[in-house]
Parts: sequence; structure tokens; C-alpha cells
Amino acid sequence: MEEEQSTKPDRQKTELFEREFMPHLEALYNFAFKLTFNEDDAKDLLQDTSMKAYRFIHSFAQGTNAKAWLFRIMKNSFINDYRKKSKAPGMVDYQEVEAYYDSGKGTSPRDITVDLRAETVRDKLGDEVTLALNSLTVDFRTVIILCDLEGFKYDEMAKILDIPIGTVRSRLHRARNMLKAKLAAYAAQMGYK
Amino acid sequence: MGKLMRWLGRTFGDKTKRCPEEEHCLELVRLMLDDESTQEDNDYVLKHIDGCYQCYDNYDVERAIREVVQKKGKNVKLPVEVVTEIRQKIEVAK
Ligand SMILES: [Zn+2]
Repeated sequence: MEEEQSTKPDRQKTELFEREFMPHLEALYNFAFKLTFNEDDAKDLLQDTSMKAYRFIHSFAQGTNAKAWLFRIMKNSFINDYRKKSKAPGMVDYQEVEAYYDSGKGTSPRDITVDLRAETVRDKLGDEVTLALNSLTVDFRTVIILCDLEGFKYDEMAKILDIPIGTVRSRLHRARNMLKAKLAAYAAQMGYK
Repeated sequence: MGKLMRWLGRTFGDKTKRCPEEEHCLELVRLMLDDESTQEDNDYVLKHIDGCYQCYDNYDVERAIREVVQKKGKNVKLPVEVVTEIRQKIEVAK
């Protein structure tokens, strides 16, 4: 079966690529950008992903989720080829927050987060949101991006990330705690105590 | 009347007293907002936050954060030339 599919005429492969994969390039590019923080790396990562997708198109089962399939390829390419290169701004100061949550103490930093609901605060939080998200380590950042920005379900995220669904759930929970703490800290810095 | 009292309790009640179910409730709130919860989870959450200031507060903050992340986690535009390059590379790879 696979053998038969892999010998698909090029025209068919190109058509399949255009139809199934092209519509997701923009989302993929955004994912790449949020992983690498860099336009050139994002372009390279997108091109690598696209070429791998084309090369392995015979292993894509039509009718299944093409977007999830592509995101999985990109995630793997990033881990294998790009992770070492990219540097996450603000990562260092954030380790403290992460350690705090790992210690189990800070599961709900509610004392400082209340103001996040105020529209005035949310409007002012622009770059801070990006900064807060970017300051999460890549594993935590990725689950937030996949869930909140790309709208993947937990079972799809499990496949993209090669982790059990329970891990998706707990990782997301911790990522949200960290993001909340970071945003609350920004809000407090801006005087919304 | 009961509803009003619960609202008052939520709004003006002792905000320093921590809810023993807070962590569990927050987990379920997140599942609910992610549309990954069961009906049973939802029933529990909605009933609980109706009477618990702290968990209602958490729920509110969670919704606010999602909104801001979705609004400000803005899209970067994919340059047209990148799409062209990809199509060209595929042509070559054929
Ligand atoms: Zn509660």
C-alpha cells in the first residue's frame, strides 16, 4: 500500500500538497516564528518542514488532520535542527518562576492577578503578552501556542508532541500558571496593584 | 435571595480565606475553557463558582488571559516570496 502510494506521479503529489498543506503554511510560519524568534530561522524552518512534508507525503493519510501532521513535522525539525541555535529572550529570569511552580507552592498566584481582568490593563498589555509567552521555555510555550492560538484539541497535541494526553494536560496547566504569574507581574509593575 | 447572598459573599466576603478545592476547581475550569471537560466537570464548576468567590475569580482571570493571548498573540504575515520559493523547491525536488 505504502509502496504503491510512494510511487504516486509527481503531479498527484503536487496537487495533494497544494490542496492539503498549502492552506496551513501561514499557521506553520507563525508557529516557526514563535519557536525561533527570528524571521530568517522561521523561513528556513518552514521550508524544511514543507520539503519534508512533500518528501513523506505518501505517509500522510488523506482525510486525517493535515495541520496536525504538519505541526508534528515542524516540531520535530525544530527540536532536531534549530533548538540549539535559537535563544529565548528573558529565559533566565524566568527560571526562577518556573522553579517556584515546580516546587508546588505557586499553583494559583491569585493575589496579584485580579487586575488582569480590567480592560485598561489588558489593552496596555500588548508586547508584555508576547514577552511573557516568549519567556516560557519551549515546551511550555508550545502547548499554549498549540492550544490557545492554533486551537488544537488535547488528543491532537498529544500526537504533535509525542506525549501522553495526561502530560499535555499537566504541562498546559503548569504553562498557564507560569504565564499568569508573568502577566500578573507585568500588571503589577505597571502599577495595577 | 440565596443567589444574592452568594453574590454578596463572593463580592464582599473574606477574600483571604482560601478555598480547599481551589486547585482542583482551577484544573476543571481550564478543561472547561479548553472544551475538554465532561458534562459532570462543567456541572461541578458552574455550581462551585456560583458560591465561591475565589474560584469565580480564578475563572474570570482565566478567561481574561485567554482573551488577551488570542488578541495580542498576533499573527505574523507569511511573506509571499516564501510561498513562491517553496513551490520552486518542490518543482526541483520532483
Ligand atoms: Zn472554590
